[in-house]
Amino acid sequence: MKERGKKKKKRLLGKSILITGGSQGLGRALAIDYAREGCKILAIVGRNLDALRKVEEEISHVSPETETLTISADLSVTQDLERIVAVTLSKSLGNLDVLVNNASSLGATPLPLLADFTDEDFVKVLQTNLIAPFVLTKKFLPSLIESMGSVINVTSDASRNAYPSWGGYGASKAALDMMTRIWAAELNELGVRVNSVDPGDMNTALHRAAEPDLDPKLWADPADVTGVFVYLASDESAGVTGKRLLAQSREWRAQFLSPHRLTIRNRARRHE
Amino acid sequence: MSIRVAISPQMISSSSAFALPDESIAREPPEIRGRSRSDVRMMVIDRQKSKIHHSHFSRLPEFLQSGDMLIFNSSRTIPSSVWGWIRDSQKLVEVRLAEHLSEGHWLALILSPEGKPLSRLGIKGAFVIDFGSELSCVAYSKDKSIPGLWKIDFHSFGSKFMELLYKIGQPIHYEYARCTLGLDFYQNVYARVPGSLEMPSAGRPFTWEMLLELKRRGVETGFVVLHSGLSSFASEENDLKSPVLEEEYSVSSSVAKAVNRAKREGRRVIAVGTTVVRALESSAKGSKGLVVPARGYTRLQITPKHRLAVVDGLVTGLHEPETSHLQLLQAFVSQRRIIEAYKDALSQGYLWHEFGDLNLIL
Repeated sequence: MKERGKKKKKRLLGKSILITGGSQGLGRALAIDYAREGCKILAIVGRNLDALRKVEEEISHVSPETETLTISADLSVTQDLERIVAVTLSKSLGNLDVLVNNASSLGATPLPLLADFTDEDFVKVLQTNLIAPFVLTKKFLPSLIESMGSVINVTSDASRNAYPSWGGYGASKAALDMMTRIWAAELNELGVRVNSVDPGDMNTALHRAAEPDLDPKLWADPADVTGVFVYLASDESAGVTGKRLLAQSREWRAQFLSPHRLTIRNRARRHE
Repeated sequence: MSIRVAISPQMISSSSAFALPDESIAREPPEIRGRSRSDVRMMVIDRQKSKIHHSHFSRLPEFLQSGDMLIFNSSRTIPSSVWGWIRDSQKLVEVRLAEHLSEGHWLALILSPEGKPLSRLGIKGAFVIDFGSELSCVAYSKDKSIPGLWKIDFHSFGSKFMELLYKIGQPIHYEYARCTLGLDFYQNVYARVPGSLEMPSAGRPFTWEMLLELKRRGVETGFVVLHSGLSSFASEENDLKSPVLEEEYSVSSSVAKAVNRAKREGRRVIAVGTTVVRALESSAKGSKGLVVPARGYTRLQITPKHRLAVVDGLVTGLHEPETSHLQLLQAFVSQRRIIEAYKDALSQGYLWHEFGDLNLIL
């Protein structure tokens, strides 16, 4: 049982982490929580530099020791991907512990039927949601092998359910899920873990754009779904690879947290 | 790429030994021809048996033993060529980074659009070169012996400089290459720490599949970093009088320990690339060649007289006459044997330069 007054141990102490789509929504929430958990270098990638700088300022309040790197880039542009990698590795002296492929594109909104999807939009969606995670994982691989690091790919239930009008996004996420499993199988002997997380319905700009007629108040706040992402980024998830976890489900806690840790957690909750 | 140096008696000159015909130059990577980067030939010089084998890179594991240690250079190639305009004259120039002196300060080659080194620009004193709206530099001091080589100061450094360099820079394109290629073609799969101005090319054919195969066969691997500098100064005359540039390198404590353990246990330490030879030999101390962790700059030139303290074998490319790389090879193999092997390679149709074939010396 933890002693009263003892500081909670930071679970990501000293780690170098990169998050794509870090300027808003889930990416922003992850950046703040990762900083809170003690990460040393946090590279956040997004298209809007002003929005990234706002997140950088929030991070500095939560964790002044975290060095934040803001990289304005478009993941659908191939040349930007090498720049993201080089700028990050220059700052971190070649180190990367965690790669979070969070940035996502819907294509045009309101979401069109596949039959109405333009060729260009379809390619762009695949570029951001699938090709960029593939390329970034490949380019960061030497660093991830060195650190026995973790890759977290953000997926969606649209990868499993054939929702009409979600074809571009859904197809890209389905491919991302399969790629996650194959990466995990190929990299297992090198000690790199690759998992995907379905964060569930969240109140984000992306979701509101996709489903403008629904009430966003029914959706989770991104800040409330970061638990599994912190777990997968931390050393606690050593050995967990090739899994698809649901951020808003209690199942992952039951499945992956040790009974001892669950006992401590339950006792702590009883005393709250 | 090899650094050309002034001719010395130990040099293998084209007039005395072999001449490299045009058709022996690899002008594009195998991938452009629809093949894998690992699809290159490999000439093996077996020093123990005094034999030369002609093989393929895919058979590298057959020439290695469990317990051998392969050391790679994990420096990542950066886009070290940038085009800009001299502010006063609007003259278009190419700036090739040659050596990183300190934060924001570089030695660089300034070339005309035709690729000629520029030392006389009709400008007195320092001048500004603009690379678009966000990046510029001041060229303030020219090298007295190398035309076209200048000290320059960029107005950005650190992450900001890297951001801008990657937006406008490209890899150096040498005239023997058939077409301009993206940076990915000049990158080893295991490259990690950005800094090399040219690709440490001996490792180019290695794929992750090969690295995994070697691991499964009990071959140990380790990584050092040596940021390779500019190898050619844009003219034969320049290249023959160029001084050796300093190159930043580091050998970690974990790699130093692993190499020393391998040496103690009588296991071979094989360098993948001449940059690794220079990094390891630079970090060796004392008569027993103990490798110590190191971080700094090296000007070490491996000559035929250098007694190798650490490295037992080498994977390298095929090098032109009158280059420092061929000098380095003579620390492993006699000049006579190299000439014999290279003539054999020429007759067998091997390809030279960074997209070409490999040479394994054991």
